[in-house]
Amino acid sequence: MSINRHFNILDYTLQSLLRRKFKNIGIIIVFTFVIFITGSVLLLSYSFKKEAMLMLKNSPELIIQKTMAGRHELIPVGISSEIMKIPGVSKVEPRYWGYYYDSLIKANYTILASGESLSANNRLLKGRLPGINENNTAAIGRGVSEARFLNTDSSISMQTAGGRPMDFWITGIFEADSELLTSDLIVISRADFMKLFGIPEQMATDLAVTVSNETETVVIAKKILSQFPDTRPILRSEIIRTYDAVFGWRSGLILTLFSGALIAFIILAWDKATGLSAEEKQEIGILKAIGWETSDVLEMKFWEGLVISLTSFLIGIILAYIHIFFFGASIFAPALKGWSVIYPNFKLAPYIDFYQISILMSLTIVPYIASTIIPSWKASITEPDIVMRG
Amino acid sequence: MIRTENVTKYFNRNKPDELVAVRDVSFEINKGDFAVFKGPSGSGKTTLLSLIGCMSRPTSGRVIVGDRDVSRLPERFMTEVRRNTFGFIFQQFNLIRGVTVCDNVMLPLFPTDIKPSELRKRTENTLDNLNMLRRKDFLVQKLSGGEQQRTAIARALINNPDIILADEPTAHLDTHLSEEFLSMMKKLQEQEKTIIIATHDPLVYEKEYVNLVIEMRDGMVRQITRKG
Ligand SMILES: Nc1ncnc2c1ncn2[C@@H]1O[C@H](COP(=O)(O)OP(=O)(O)OP(=O)(O)O)[C@@H](O)[C@H]1O
Ligand SMILES: [Mg+2]
Repeated sequence: MSINRHFNILDYTLQSLLRRKFKNIGIIIVFTFVIFITGSVLLLSYSFKKEAMLMLKNSPELIIQKTMAGRHELIPVGISSEIMKIPGVSKVEPRYWGYYYDSLIKANYTILASGESLSANNRLLKGRLPGINENNTAAIGRGVSEARFLNTDSSISMQTAGGRPMDFWITGIFEADSELLTSDLIVISRADFMKLFGIPEQMATDLAVTVSNETETVVIAKKILSQFPDTRPILRSEIIRTYDAVFGWRSGLILTLFSGALIAFIILAWDKATGLSAEEKQEIGILKAIGWETSDVLEMKFWEGLVISLTSFLIGIILAYIHIFFFGASIFAPALKGWSVIYPNFKLAPYIDFYQISILMSLTIVPYIASTIIPSWKASITEPDIVMRG
Repeated sequence: MIRTENVTKYFNRNKPDELVAVRDVSFEINKGDFAVFKGPSGSGKTTLLSLIGCMSRPTSGRVIVGDRDVSRLPERFMTEVRRNTFGFIFQQFNLIRGVTVCDNVMLPLFPTDIKPSELRKRTENTLDNLNMLRRKDFLVQKLSGGEQQRTAIARALINNPDIILADEPTAHLDTHLSEEFLSMMKKLQEQEKTIIIATHDPLVYEKEYVNLVIEMRDGMVRQITRKG
C-alpha cells in the first residue's frame, strides 16, 4: 500500500499553502464570497418554491372568481348550487379572504375566515384557531405578531368598512413551519369577516371547487366559464406551472451555470494576472530534480486545489445557510421589501436541494482544481535541469 | 560505475540560437572516485552533471549508470534512478524558502512510501551527523551561507545515494567553509560513495584526494588526469 506517500505529499501541500498565506487567503475570500452569494440565491429560491408548493398542495383544484370589467368582484354564493349540478363536481365551498391595510405599520394583512381548509393545517399553530362561530377572536401570523408586538391573550384592533373599531382577542400565533404563507395572516370567524369588510350575506370572495376526477378539471372549468361568462376559473395546475417557471430548476440551473462561469472567469483573470510565479516554477523544478515525479507534483497541486476550493465551498455554503435561514436573507432584504413590510423578519423553513448544491459544487471545485493543475503540469513536464542554473 | 560514450548535447536544436553545450564527450568514473569537472565558465560542466544525474537527456551518445543506459529511459524511470542513485548539491543550494530545515531535508522522500515517523527519525540522524540538529526548525532563509549548504548536503544524503553530484559548491563559501565542505566530501568518499564536483576553484581540484580530473573547454574534454 502506498498510503504513506499520499499522506506525505498532503502534509507538504498543507505547509506550502501556509507558506503562501496571503495569496491563498485572498483566493479563499473571493471564492467563498461567490459561493455565498450563489448559494444564498439557490437556497432562497428553492425554499420559496417549496413553500409555494406547500401552499398550493392545500389549495383547491379549481377556484372560481367573479370578474367585473376584468376586476375581481365578490361572487354570489347562490351559484354554488348551479355549479354542483355540473357532472364531476363533488363539492363547492365559498371562501372568504381579503387584504386589510394597517396604517400603523403601513402594511397589508391577509384576512381569512376560518373554515374547513384551514383546520387541516392546524399543526402550524401555537395556541389555537378561533372557532368557526367564535366572534371577536383571531389567530395571527408571526409577522403580524412581531410588527405589532402582540402575543396571545392580548388584542388587535381593526376598523370595519363602516369605520367602526373592532377588537379581536388573539387565541393563537402561527409558527415557523411555513412562515412565508402565514407571516401576514389573520384568521377570524366568518361572521366577523363579513362585518369587518361589510360584505353582504350570500356573497363570498371566491368559490373553491372540488373535482372528483382531477383529469376532468380543465373540462369542468370550460363548462363553468360557458355557463357563467362573468367568472374566471383558476386552475391549480396553472398556478403550479407559473411558480415552476419562476422558481423552477431551470432558473437554478442557469444561475449555477452562470456562477460557475463567473468563478472560472475570476480564477482565469487571477491566474493571468499572477501566473505561476518564478518562485513556484523554481520550486517545481527543485522537487523534480530531487526525485519527485510529474505525477507527484500534480498530486500536490491537486491537494492544493481541493483544499482551497473545498474550504471555500463549505464556508460559503454554511454562511449562505445561516444568512437565509437564521437571518432571513437580510442581505437580499431590500429587494424583498417590495412584497410586504412584514416579510423582512420572516424566517424560511430550511429546504435544501442537494442536487442543485452538488451541481454548484462540481461547477466550482472542478474548474478550480483544473486551473491549479494545468499551469503546474506545463512547468513539471519540462526537464528539471533548469534549476541547475538558478 | 558511470560511463559516457560520445555524448553530445544541443540546446535549441534547429533554431537560430542553436548551441552545442557538450560535444562528443567520453569518459569513465569508477565507484569511490573523487572526480572533478574542471574548466572555465561556459565550458559545459553543469550540463555534464545534469546529463549524468538524469536531469536531462543527451542529443546523441549514451550515458550509462551502473549497468543501465539511462539516456533513453522513459521519464518515470529516469526519476527513479535520480531518486535512488544521486544526491545533488546545487550551486544556488536550491532550498525551498519559507520551509524549515527539517522539511527541506525530507523533501526527496515525501513521495515515497516511508512512514512519517521513520522519515523524521532518518532526517534527524542526517542533520545530527552534519551538526545541524539544533537548527532543524529554522526557516532556511534565516540560516547563514554555510548552514544553508549543510542543509543542502543533508538533503542530498537523505536517500542514501551512491553518487554525490555538486555544482560549484565552494563558489559562495570562504576558504574556511570550503575546506570544511571538502572534508565532508572526503568522509563520504571514505564511506564508499562516489563524489563528482564541477568547479573552477583550484582549492578543490588541487586537493590530493581528488583522483580524477576531467578538464573541459568549449564543451569538449581537453584532458583526463587519473591519479593513483
Ligand atoms: N537550458 C539552456 N538553454 C540554452 N543554452 C544553455 C542552456 N543551459 C546551458 N546553456 C549553454 O550551454 C553552455 C554550457 O553551459 P554550462 O552551464 O554547462 O557551463 P558551465 O561550465 O557550467 O559554466 P559555469 O562555470 O558558468 O557554470 C553555455 O554556453 C550555456 O549558455
Ligand atoms: Mg555551471
